[in-house]
Amino acid sequence: MTNATIQEIEGIDDYWGPAFRSVYEGEGGHEAFVQQLDERIQQHDKEIEKLCNFYYQGFIDSIRELLQVRSHAEELHAEISNVDANVKESTESLCTRAEELIRARRVELNIAATIEKMELCLPLLTTYSKLKTQVEAKRYYPALKTLEQLEHVLLPRVGPYKWCAQISSDIPRLRQAIQDASMADLRDFLENIRKLSPQVGAMAFKETQEMLGRSLANIVKSKKDDVISVASRENSGPQCPHELVDFSPLHRCLHIHSVLGAKNDFVQYYRAQRKQQARLVLIPSSGNLHDSIQSMKSYLNAVLGFFILEEHLLTAGAGLVSRDWLLDTWSMAVTKVASTLRTNTSLITDPTLMLSIKQQIVLFINALKCYGLPTDPLPLLLQEMAEHYTEVLMQRWVVVFRDILDNASFLPIEVENQEQYDGVMDQFPYDGDELETQPFPRKFPFSTIVPAVYVQVKEFIYAWLKYSAGLGLGGGRRAAAARHSASLLLSRSFTGCLSALFRRPLPLMQLVQIIVDTQYLEDATLYLYEFISNITGSELVTTQAAGSMFQAARDDAEQQICENLEKKVDEFLDLENYDWLLVEPSGQASSFVTDMLSYLSGVLTSLEQLPTRARVAAVRAATNRIASRLRNLLLDPAVRQISSGALHQLDLDVIQCEQFAAGEPVPGLKEGELLEHFASLRQLLDLITGWDWSSYLHDVGIEGGKYALVTPRDAATLLEKLKEAEQKSSVFSVLKKNERDRRKLLDTVLKQLKQLQNQDG
Amino acid sequence: MAKTYDYLFKLLLIGDSGVGKTSILFRFSEDAFNISFISTIGIDFKIRTIDLDGKKVKLQIWDTAGQERFRTITTAYYRGSMGIMLVYDVTNEKSFENIKNWIRNIEENASADVEKMILGNKCDLDAKRQVSKERGEQLAIEYQIKFVETSAKDSLNVEYAFYTLARDIKAKMEKKQEASNPPGNRSGVHQLKDSDRQRKPTSWLSRCSLL
Repeated sequence: MTNATIQEIEGIDDYWGPAFRSVYEGEGGHEAFVQQLDERIQQHDKEIEKLCNFYYQGFIDSIRELLQVRSHAEELHAEISNVDANVKESTESLCTRAEELIRARRVELNIAATIEKMELCLPLLTTYSKLKTQVEAKRYYPALKTLEQLEHVLLPRVGPYKWCAQISSDIPRLRQAIQDASMADLRDFLENIRKLSPQVGAMAFKETQEMLGRSLANIVKSKKDDVISVASRENSGPQCPHELVDFSPLHRCLHIHSVLGAKNDFVQYYRAQRKQQARLVLIPSSGNLHDSIQSMKSYLNAVLGFFILEEHLLTAGAGLVSRDWLLDTWSMAVTKVASTLRTNTSLITDPTLMLSIKQQIVLFINALKCYGLPTDPLPLLLQEMAEHYTEVLMQRWVVVFRDILDNASFLPIEVENQEQYDGVMDQFPYDGDELETQPFPRKFPFSTIVPAVYVQVKEFIYAWLKYSAGLGLGGGRRAAAARHSASLLLSRSFTGCLSALFRRPLPLMQLVQIIVDTQYLEDATLYLYEFISNITGSELVTTQAAGSMFQAARDDAEQQICENLEKKVDEFLDLENYDWLLVEPSGQASSFVTDMLSYLSGVLTSLEQLPTRARVAAVRAATNRIASRLRNLLLDPAVRQISSGALHQLDLDVIQCEQFAAGEPVPGLKEGELLEHFASLRQLLDLITGWDWSSYLHDVGIEGGKYALVTPRDAATLLEKLKEAEQKSSVFSVLKKNERDRRKLLDTVLKQLKQLQNQDG
Repeated sequence: MAKTYDYLFKLLLIGDSGVGKTSILFRFSEDAFNISFISTIGIDFKIRTIDLDGKKVKLQIWDTAGQERFRTITTAYYRGSMGIMLVYDVTNEKSFENIKNWIRNIEENASADVEKMILGNKCDLDAKRQVSKERGEQLAIEYQIKFVETSAKDSLNVEYAFYTLARDIKAKMEKKQEASNPPGNRSGVHQLKDSDRQRKPTSWLSRCSLL
C-alpha cells in the first residue's frame, strides 16, 4: 500500500489528490508513509551519488575541452573580425563608385532624353524667335508664314509644354498684332498716297501736256536733248506717275490678309477707305476754286492722281480694285467733279482765269483718256463753260462798248491828212474809192464808234477763240461758233449798250449818226466772217446773212427820233395862241405853225443820211402829232366858244400843214400818205366851214362817205362851240332873217347829231 | 381859255463854234452842265417860261451851230428873233474878235430893232483867259450893247443874262405898243409878230393866200 501511493505520486505529475487521500485515510497511518518516503529519498540519494561518480571524469574532460574550445573560438573571432574589417574597408569604396556609376548612368539617360526633347523643341523656338524678329522688322508676310508653320507643324510635334501652350496662346495675339500692324501700314500707305496723289496727278498732267504738245519737231528736239542728257537722265526720277508711290505696303497688306483668310474683308476695307478718300478729294480743300488757277490745279491734280493710282492697281491685278468698282467710283467722282467745277466756274468773271481753267480741264480730259477713264460729263461741262466764257467776255465787252459809246461824239470822222485817213482805213474795212479822190479834210460817213467797235469785236473774237483752242473742234465748227458769238456780241451786248444809250434823251443828229453807224457795222459783218475764217483756217461762210442785227437798236433810235420830233412839235403847239373869238382871220398862218413847219423841213433835210424807212417814220410821227394836236385843240372842252374867224384861222394853219404834208418832205412816201393824218381834221373843218350838214347827215354811217371820219359827237362838239360864239357876238344885236334861219338850222342839226350820238350809244 | 403865257419872245444864240452856246442854253433850260462837247448840227431850240414883273414870258431860244457850214441854215432864223445873244469864249481870242463879224451878220439879217447882248462865256477858266473883262466891256460899249461874263459850268450870270435880255425886249415892246396904239384886248406879241410877218413874205405864205 504505501509503495503504490509513492509510485502513483511519482508517476503522476499533477492530480495528486487521490494519492494524498489514500495516504491520509490508509491504515498504518502517515508514519508508515513518511518512513517509506524517507526510504525512498535515501534510495534516490544513493542513486544520485552513483550517477555522479560515474560522470565525474567525463565532466572534467569536458570542461578541459570546453576551455580549449574557448580559446579557439576567441582566435577565430579575431580572425573573422579582421577579415570583416578588411572586407568592409574594400567594399566601401566600391559601393561609392557603384553608386556614382548609377547616378552617372541616370544622368546620362536623362541627358539623352532631354537632348531628344530639346531637339524637337529647338526648331520651334528658332522659328518663334524668327517670327519675333520678323514681326519686329515689320516683315509681316514672312512672319505670317512662319506663324503658320509654327502653328501647324512645329507646335503639335513638340508636345504639351507649358511654354508651348504659351506660344500657342500667343499665336492668335501675334496674328492680330500682325494684322493690326499691317492695317497700320495700310493706313500709313493711304495717308501717304493721299499726300502723293496730287503729285501723281501733277506729273500726269505734265505728261499729258507734253504728249499734246508732241509734234515731229518736238520729238526730234527732245530726242536730241535725250542724247545730250542721257547720262543725267539715266537715274532720273520715276518715269510713270504711279511710280511716285510705293505700293509695296499695300501689296504686303493684301498678302497678309489673304494669308489670314481675310482678303475679302481687306478688299472691302480698302475700297471703303478709298471711297471715303475719294469723297475727301472731291471736296475742294481751298473752298473757292474760282479764286486762283492754283487751287483749281491742285484740285484736279488730286482727283486725277487718285484715279491714276486706282487704275494702276486695277492693271496691277491682285483683285484689290475691280473694273466695276473703279468705274463706279469714277462715275460718282466725275459727276461730283463736274458739278464742283460747274459751280465754281460759274462764279468766275475773269476770262484769263477761265482760259487757264479750261486748259486744265482739257488736260484733265486727255489724261483721263490716257488712263481709260470715261470723260463723259466733262466735255459737256466745257461746252457750258464755253457759254459762260462767252457771257463773261460779253460782260467785259459791254463795259468796253459802254466806254466807247460814253465817249463818242457821234459825229462823222473827219481826217485832216493821209496818215489819219490810213489810220481809219486800217481799222475798218471801208470801201473808200470815192473818198480817196477827195481833198483833205476827208469825211467818213460813219463816226468813231464804227472802227472802235469793229476793232473791239475782232479783239473779242481773238479772246473767244482762245477758249475753243485745244478743244479738238474743227475749224469749221470753231468758225461757226465764233460767228455765232460775234453776232451775239453785236446783237445783244452792243445793241444792249445802244438801248441803254437811248434811255437818255439824245440829240437828233446823234440818233441819226447811230443809225448810220449801225448800218456800217452791219455791212462789216462780212469782213468779220472773213477774219474769222482766216484765223480759224476754215472756209469762208457767206450764206449766213448778217440780217438785221441792229434792227432793234435802229428801231429804238428811230423811235427816239420820232419821239424827239413829236416833242418838238408839242413844244411848238404849246406856243399856240389862238384867239378863239377872232372876228376876221389874219389871212396868214399862225407864226408857231410856220416856225414849226420850217423847223421840220430843216430837220428832215438834215436827216438825209437816214434810211428812207426811218425818215418816213419820223415825218409820219411828226405829221400825225401835228394833226392830232390841232384836232384836239379844236375839240378841247376848255375852249368853250369858237368863232368862225378863229375857225378859219385854224383852217388856214391846217392848210399850211397839209401843204407841207403834200409837198413830200422826204422821199419814199406814198402819194398823199401824210395827208391822211389830216383827213379827219380836214373833213371836220370842211363840214363846218362848208356848212354841208345835209350831205353829212345823209351819208352818216356809210363807208367812204365825204365826211366818213367825222363822228356825230365831234361834229356836235364843234357846232356847240360855234353856236356859243355866235350867241355871244350877237347878244345885243337883232338877228337878221337869214341869221335866224341859220340859227334854226344849227339847232336842227345839233338835235340830229345828238340823236345819232344816242343811237351810237 | 386861259393862255399859258403873256409874251412869247424868240431869242437866238450865236457865236463861234465851241464857245458854249449849247451849254449856256442847257444851263438855262435844264439847269445842268455836260462837260463833253457835242457840236450842234444845224439848229435846235429850247423853251423856258419865266416870270417877268408878274407876266408869264415864254422864251423860245434858238441855238445855232457855230460852224461855218451851217451858216445858211442859221441865218434864216435871224429875222424872226427879238433878241440875240452874242457869245464868245474868254479863253479864245479868235472867238472874241469874231464878235464883230457876228454883229455884222446880225445887221445884215436880223430886224433892225433886235435886242442884243454880248456874253463872255467860260469865265470860270481864269487860268486860260485870253480876253479880259475890260476888253469885253469896251467892245460892248462901242456897239452900245449890254455885256456880261458868264459861266455855264458854274452857272454864273446865265439866268441874269436871259432875264436882262427878256426884260429889255419886254420894255421895248411895251413902249412901242403904247406909242402906236392904246392897249387892246390882244397882247402885243401878235401885233409885233404880225408886223414882222408883213415884212417877210415867204414863198409858201403867198401860196397860202392864194388858197
